[in-house]
Amino acid sequence: MYTKDELFQAISTVIDPEVGFNLVEMGLIYDASSDDEGNVKVTMTLSTKACPLHQMILQWVKEAVEKLPNVKSVDVEVVWEPEWNITMADDNVKKALGA
Amino acid sequence: MIGGFFYVLATLAVFLFHAQDLVYTSPAVISFTHLFLLGFVMMTIFGAMAQLVPVVLEVGHFGVELFYAIWPLLLIGTLLMVVGFLYSPALLPYGGTVVLISMMIFVGEIFLTIKKVKKLNLVMSSVLISNTFLFFGIIFGLLMALSYAGTISLDISQMLRAHVYSVIGGYIGITIMGLSIVLVPMFTLSHSFSLTPLRISITLMSLGVASVIFSALLNIKVLEYIGYFLSFLALPFYFYIIYIIYKTRPRKENDIYAISMMFAYSAMLVALLLAIVYFLLHKEVFLLASAWVLFFGFFGFMITGHIYKIIPFLVWFERFSPLVGKQKIPMLADMVPYKSSQAQFVFSSIGVVLVTFAILTKSETLLHGGASFLFFGGLAFVRSMLYMINFK
Repeated sequence: MYTKDELFQAISTVIDPEVGFNLVEMGLIYDASSDDEGNVKVTMTLSTKACPLHQMILQWVKEAVEKLPNVKSVDVEVVWEPEWNITMADDNVKKALGA
Repeated sequence: MIGGFFYVLATLAVFLFHAQDLVYTSPAVISFTHLFLLGFVMMTIFGAMAQLVPVVLEVGHFGVELFYAIWPLLLIGTLLMVVGFLYSPALLPYGGTVVLISMMIFVGEIFLTIKKVKKLNLVMSSVLISNTFLFFGIIFGLLMALSYAGTISLDISQMLRAHVYSVIGGYIGITIMGLSIVLVPMFTLSHSFSLTPLRISITLMSLGVASVIFSALLNIKVLEYIGYFLSFLALPFYFYIIYIIYKTRPRKENDIYAISMMFAYSAMLVALLLAIVYFLLHKEVFLLASAWVLFFGFFGFMITGHIYKIIPFLVWFERFSPLVGKQKIPMLADMVPYKSSQAQFVFSSIGVVLVTFAILTKSETLLHGGASFLFFGGLAFVRSMLYMINFK
């Protein structure tokens, strides 16, 4: 129903308030897919396991995808393998963080 | 916020020092120590723990509302003790008891919260160990307060070692070790480092503190030196893991948090060197300078640095997170006042250095100059806190 790029585009409206970049630029969204009935599955990670915004960020991702027309359900799964590292972020993020 | 005001009061208390006859048993020094450690360090750590325990332990507080009793009691108890040390020792048992009640509630709350945890990890264990030392540290402190006021009779100098080591090494030290391994990587985005050096460091520090406590209680001198040795040995392992985190950190921008941390860890190294010089030369002035650098240089900058991260987060979470996706909202970094945070860093760091030299050279002029810098640094810190808290 939606391509991976379209779903990533929707998720890119979610900003990490600590770093100031969106989750896609940060490289935190690993995968996103949807079936024909509008069920979306997002696989993502967080920049740190102890993130105090953990639940809130998942909720924002869910809400960002739910804004797309005809989305029936959104399942956001957090994985720690592979663990996030700065090489997964895009060049703008690396430059801003001084990496 | 209360911690911030105590930080300023502590800078004013430095004006009460007399560089020529500065000894750790003088009322001005003891009063300052309690003002700084109870009013600023403990008050801030307790506040931070109220927020961080659920993050670190991954379970909710047993009774978070208990913190509303802890802070006023700690505030009243601290003020009674500070005034008691300076002007009226009769107040000490009252102040000590109020502080004791406050801390017992805190320790009890933390223990009952930890009880909810199914499996302890290293950071959770550090919280458990540090709070156990705090429990004993405040008992020793109360016994000293009773003795100081003439209610009971015991060897204060012996009990002092147990009290100081339990609270500073056991509680504050191990709390900082444990929490910094959560907070520093969180703010620097570091990953994939082994926790083994921290495990070794916390084990050595715990054994060291226990050894010093037993040496004081049983009057076995050799245990005291073993304790000091183990504590010193713990620090390189802690520094090593911090070095690894900093070396591998993706976030390399030097914001106020990063430079505060760099100053804090440098200060800790200087404090360590001064302590070694004290053990070699047995001149009290080096012990005082070491304690000073540890307090205002390490604890001070470690706490103020984290405040610039924690307050914006709390305010943002409360005020702006409900507006996400509805309107443009600030980033956390936008909430930190650039000028006053930089002013705080510059004034406070100059103040720490000047007072250190004042203690070593017994210079009254340097002491008052340093205290003045610290005072203005303290005001800038409070200004920064007010700006962040009231950010709209």
